[in-house]
Amino acid sequence: MTPHSAPWPPTPGPRAWVLPAIAVLALLSIYPLLFAIEVSLRTPAGHGFSNFTRLVQDRFFLVALAQTLVYTAGALVIEFTLGLGLALLLHREFRGRQVFRSLLLIPMLLPPVVVAVIWRLILNPEFGVLNGTLRSLGVPTASLTWFGSERTAMLSVILVDAWQWTPFMFLLLLAGLQGLPVEPFEAARVDGASSLQIFRRLTLPMLRPVIAIAVLLRTMDLLRVFDQIFILTQGGPGFATETVTLYIYRTAFRYWNFGYAAAMSFVLLAATTIIARAFLRLLREQPA
Amino acid sequence: MRFIGVSVLLLLPACARPPAGPRLVVAVNAGVEGDALKHAAADYQRVSGVRMEIVELPYSNLFEKAMLDLDGRTGAYDVIMMDDPWFPRLASHQKLVPLEPLYRLAGLSGPDADFVATSLQLCHEPYPNGRLYALPYVGNSPLFFYRKDLFDKHGLTAPRTWHEVRDAARRLQESERGFYGYVMRAAPGNAATTDFMPILWAFGADLLAPDGAPRLDTPEAAEALSFMVEMGRFTPPGYVSFNADEIAAHLLQSTAIMSINWPSWISAMDDPVKSRVVDKIGFALLPGQREPGRAVLGNWLLAIPAGSHRVDAAFTFLRWATDPAQMRQAAERGGPPTRRSVFLDPALLRRFRAYPVQLASLETGRPRPRTPHWNEIENIFGVLISKANAGSISVADALARAQKEIADIQRRNP
Repeated sequence: MTPHSAPWPPTPGPRAWVLPAIAVLALLSIYPLLFAIEVSLRTPAGHGFSNFTRLVQDRFFLVALAQTLVYTAGALVIEFTLGLGLALLLHREFRGRQVFRSLLLIPMLLPPVVVAVIWRLILNPEFGVLNGTLRSLGVPTASLTWFGSERTAMLSVILVDAWQWTPFMFLLLLAGLQGLPVEPFEAARVDGASSLQIFRRLTLPMLRPVIAIAVLLRTMDLLRVFDQIFILTQGGPGFATETVTLYIYRTAFRYWNFGYAAAMSFVLLAATTIIARAFLRLLREQPA
Repeated sequence: MRFIGVSVLLLLPACARPPAGPRLVVAVNAGVEGDALKHAAADYQRVSGVRMEIVELPYSNLFEKAMLDLDGRTGAYDVIMMDDPWFPRLASHQKLVPLEPLYRLAGLSGPDADFVATSLQLCHEPYPNGRLYALPYVGNSPLFFYRKDLFDKHGLTAPRTWHEVRDAARRLQESERGFYGYVMRAAPGNAATTDFMPILWAFGADLLAPDGAPRLDTPEAAEALSFMVEMGRFTPPGYVSFNADEIAAHLLQSTAIMSINWPSWISAMDDPVKSRVVDKIGFALLPGQREPGRAVLGNWLLAIPAGSHRVDAAFTFLRWATDPAQMRQAAERGGPPTRRSVFLDPALLRRFRAYPVQLASLETGRPRPRTPHWNEIENIFGVLISKANAGSISVADALARAQKEIADIQRRNP
C-alpha cells in the first residue's frame, strides 16, 4: 500500500450525497408535475392546447374562479382582523389569559370535515341550534336559511372557515407580538404617543414579516379549500359556493376528464404562485 | 448495487400476479344499500369456504375506484357493486365480463324470469337488450311518501296527479299548523335532477330525445320546471340545499306532509326511536300529469370487472347472492329486492307494508338517460334546476342553458 493510493471504498463526492434527495424529489414531485403537464395537453384528437382555450369560454370555471377569490379574500379579511384583535387583546397580562388562549385553539385542532358536519347541523334552518335559539328569543328565522340561499351561502361558508382558522392567525400574530422588542414602545410612550399612533407606526410595521407569512399561509390554504365546502354545500345552492377545487374534483373524478381537470389545476397553481410571490416581495421589503 | 438487488427481490412478489385461490374481493357501497351485500358475503364465506374480502367505499369513492380498476384492468376487485346510472360508462369498452357465456357454461340460457324486468334491463349495454354485464341486487325505486293520517282527516286520497299534490299541499298547509305541504330536494346535481325527472316525465317532456339530443326546448319542459318552482312555495325554506337526508328529517320530525324519497327510508318512518310519525305515513306511486307517474330507477347492480383473475368464482357468488333464497335474506336485512317472488312472499308482505307499492314503482320506473356522460349531464342540469328553484335565473334561462350545456357535453364527447 502506497501512501498516495485512493481509499477503498472511495468516498463519494458532495453531489453524491444529495442524489437520494434528488431521486425522491424527481419521483414524487417532478415526474408527477411533468405527467400532469402532459395530461393537461391531452385532447380527443391527440395533444394540443384545447383544454386551456376551453377554460376561457367555460362560464362555470370562470364563475368558480371568481368565487374562489371572493371566498379567499372574505375569509382572509375576517380571520386577519379577528386574529389581530385577539392577539392584541391576549398579549396583555390578565387573569385567565392562558385559559383563553387554550380555548381559542380548539377549533383549529378539529379536522375540517368534523367542523363542516358540526356547522351543517348548527345552521340547519329548521332543526339547527342557532335558528332554534333565535326563534326562542322571538327573532323571525324564516329568511335565515344559511347554506340554503344563494345570497347567504357564500357568507356562511366563509364564517365557518373563519371560526376554524382565526385561531391560526391569532397564534402566529401573538407569537409575532411577543417577539417584538419593548424599547421602541417604551420610548414612544415616553414621547407621548397615543395607543393608536403606537399601533399604526410601530406595531404594524414591525409585525409586517409575521403578517405576510400568516396571510400567505392562509391564502394558499383558502385557494385550495375543498373538504369544508364539499361537506357543507357541495358547491350549491345552484353554483353559489362552487370553488375551483370542487370543479376540478368533479371534472376529474365524476366526469373522468383528467386533461381538463389538469389544465384547471395549472391555472390555480399559477394564481397561487402569483399571489405567493407578491407576499414574499412584501416580506423582503423593509419598512422605511 | 447490492441495495438495488435486495430491493428488486423484495418488490418482485408484489409485482407478481396474485395466486388464484378461494378468495374474492368485493367493492361495496358504504351505506344502507351495501349492508345486505356485506352480510351476504360473510354468509357465503361460511357456506363455501371462499375467503371474502369486502372493500367498503363511500358513494363517490366507489365510482372512482371502479373506474380506476376497470380502466387499468388491475384485477383489484372480483365483484363491483355499482349504481345503475354509472353502468353505461362502466360497461363500455369491454371493461366488464359479459355474463351470457358464463350462464351457458353453467348450462343455463340466462337469468331466470323472476327478476323484475325493468331491473334486469338496466344490466344490459346497450340498454335494454344488449349484452348482459351485471345482475340487479338492490331494487331501489322512489315512492311518494304522504301523511295518511292527515289525508284521511281531510277526506283526501293519495294524489294521482301533480296538480292534486299541489292542491293538497296548499289545503293542508293552510289548515294544519306547523306543517309544510310538500318537501323536495333541489341541491345541485343528483338531488335536484332525481326530484325533477318524474315531474318532467309526468308533464310529457323528456331530457333527451330518442336520438340522444337534448330536448328541453319544449313547452312541456318549461311547464314542468315552472311547476317545480311553484311547489317551492309549499316546501321548507332552504330546500335548494336539501338532499334525501333533509327531506326524510322533515317527514320524521312531522314538519312536512308529502315528499318523494327512496325506499331505504321506509323502515325509519316506522321506527319509534327515529320517527314521530310511526304508522302515519302512506306510500304511493309517483303522481302523473299528462303521462302516468314514473319513478327514476336507482338500482344497485353487481358486475365482474374484466381484469378479475377469478371470474368463475365471482360468477358463482353473483348467482348465489341474487338467488331467491339469498335475496329473501337480503330483504329481511332491509335491502329492496329485485325479484318478484321476494316482493310477493307472504311473510315479507306482512313485515314490509310498502312492498306492493315498491314492486309497482320498480316495474313502472324509468332509468335515467343511458349515456356514458350521465354524471356530467346530471351535474350541469342539476345546477341549473337548483338555480331556477333558488330564483337566481328564470325557468326559460335554466332550460335554455341546460339545452346548450348538454349539447356541448355531447359535442365534446362524440
